[in-house]
Amino acid sequence: MADRDVEKSLKRTVRPGINTIEITAARELHARTVNARNPRNERAMQTTTTTTTMAKSSASFFKEPIPRHVCNSANNPPCKHCGRMIIPSPVATYPLEDNPSISINNWTITSRKRPILNSEELEDWETNKLSGLGALPEMIFGNNYISIKNVEKNWSIDFRALDALSMVNLEDSGIRVSYSKDWINSKLKTTAKEVHEDDLFEISSESLNIVKNYDWTYSTEYKGTVINYNDNDVIDFKTDNDLVLPIDKLSKPDQILFFDDMILFEDELADNGISILNVKIRVMNERLLLLSRFFLRVDDVIVRVYDTRIYVEFDENKVIREFKQYESEYNDLMANQKRVLAHSRDPKALLRDSNWVVEHIPLVKRQCEVIQF
Amino acid sequence: MELEKTIRLLKEGKHLSEERVYDICLKSQELLITEGNVTHVDTPVTICGDIHGQLHDLLTLFEKSGGVEKTRYVFLGDFVDRGFYSLESFLLLLCYKIRYPDRITLIRGNHETRQITKVYGFYDEVMRKYGNSNVWRYCCEVFDYLSLGAIINNRIFCVHGGLSPDVSTINEIKAIDRKQEVPHEGAMCDLLWSDPDDVDKWSLSPRGAGFLFGSNEVEEFLHTNGFELIARAHQLVMEGYKEMFDGGLVTVWSAPNYCYRCGNVAAVLKIDDQLERNYTIFDAVQPQDGVGNAIIPTKQPQMDYFL
Repeated sequence: MADRDVEKSLKRTVRPGINTIEITAARELHARTVNARNPRNERAMQTTTTTTTMAKSSASFFKEPIPRHVCNSANNPPCKHCGRMIIPSPVATYPLEDNPSISINNWTITSRKRPILNSEELEDWETNKLSGLGALPEMIFGNNYISIKNVEKNWSIDFRALDALSMVNLEDSGIRVSYSKDWINSKLKTTAKEVHEDDLFEISSESLNIVKNYDWTYSTEYKGTVINYNDNDVIDFKTDNDLVLPIDKLSKPDQILFFDDMILFEDELADNGISILNVKIRVMNERLLLLSRFFLRVDDVIVRVYDTRIYVEFDENKVIREFKQYESEYNDLMANQKRVLAHSRDPKALLRDSNWVVEHIPLVKRQCEVIQF
Repeated sequence: MELEKTIRLLKEGKHLSEERVYDICLKSQELLITEGNVTHVDTPVTICGDIHGQLHDLLTLFEKSGGVEKTRYVFLGDFVDRGFYSLESFLLLLCYKIRYPDRITLIRGNHETRQITKVYGFYDEVMRKYGNSNVWRYCCEVFDYLSLGAIINNRIFCVHGGLSPDVSTINEIKAIDRKQEVPHEGAMCDLLWSDPDDVDKWSLSPRGAGFLFGSNEVEEFLHTNGFELIARAHQLVMEGYKEMFDGGLVTVWSAPNYCYRCGNVAAVLKIDDQLERNYTIFDAVQPQDGVGNAIIPTKQPQMDYFL
């Protein structure tokens, strides 16, 4: 019955509304899921989505690399090489538990996705681990992580919410929401009036004090957690700001063997914008790239992007870490991009997109470090 | 009957004509305008927290808690934004309100405003589904008539956000002129926005706007008004509900797997004639049906060659 309705609605594609758009999208999503599980289809999809000019010159790009990776997670659907595909299994959307892993040479990459912290964990973080923070972000994916480990040297760099939030400043950030002044002034006015008229009404301007000071925007310069499992063989990054990431190598459409994308924490700042830390990783046969992005937008006040990139070239056993800080006053961005924003149907949509924002605000600081194993 | 048909269409997530939506909005306004800022409700009643456009989960909520034919409900607001079916969820509640006026009480949440819905999804959803914003405007008109709170058996106070330093008695809420866009400051704003916290007295949020209140404020408010409980929503809770301040305040959250990615469960709170509290916990609808067709969109990582 329901299926017949779906069929009907698909035929009426001209009609606007939920039937056509949502169901077509849902079907496409399902088709992608099914295709992703089937290695043969996956290859077919890759060539069809490539443009024809690309296809000609890309023969060498798509040359079958000599398989050398090992899939460590048994629950994933088949891949053509080792009988398993490593891209996080598409079935694991709920209860959001998945722990895929892949090994190439000395390197093992593992990720895990779990639900947000439960009340018990949250209380532990609030009272013990992060007691300085007045209120924690609304959504903390505290059991999520991505880990890049060198098995031979027993060294790893992990990305975890707790470590990122530990770096949030415990002083007043100086940032206030756009209407803060008006809000406080209006309170002061009513207070004066109320106290005068009614002695029982107790609201002193004291209540307009901030009791707990901390950076409520959760801005964090987190660059990952370096772990040396051997205490007597400590390996750490050395600064070399002249280094650049090999964009040419990273731009090659080498087959992605492992991909994950996760949020570590997110808060919508009581609907005044967004503060979000997102980490994503792609592992190819010869190298990997991880991007950890902190994105902050306080509406009408400020925008910030802090990007950390980790690049590993497996055969060279080299790790590069690049950290970039971008920042702009909200109004400066609006003024600079006035024309673009004016032509957009929904200008706010652009401001919600960190990729668009980062391209249009100035770079404030860049830092590069390297480890050669 | 026309209304029954509309309810059926909404439950299936089907498209309604602009005229039909206008009609529903007008009828609900006529009903809501007769209600006070604070509605009185009798037990037994089921209190529900944020819904946020998760239509399929709202249907589960009704299924698990007895259904509107047999049960009275108080919804604490935040019907729209974030989920993909804000419009259908809100209209379904309005249709139930029209069909069973004494069984549904709708309280305004901080998302039931023009400004917030423009940023957090409802406006976009309407534009996507209708190509214009008329339907969004009709709904916003209804938002302005939603009540600000409810009182159950003169013992339980229901509100979306929390308390306000400008409100010590219920009469002070009744004196508010609620039929307007939620202002940026004042009692009406506080009721929809403020949060309980571990503080000794009223304090300002570090964001520079908005209040935090603690156990002292809750105790005083309960005592002054002869209440035993404040039931509010507004904040995500992994377990679906959270009692604070020796059970003087509870947060109820009714959007499971919030934003389709948080993995939390949802809860509703049933208050029986003895004012006993019974929580019903429920999970999110599975994203796919038995044969693999997607029912709701999932936030799966899209593989991309990011740099």
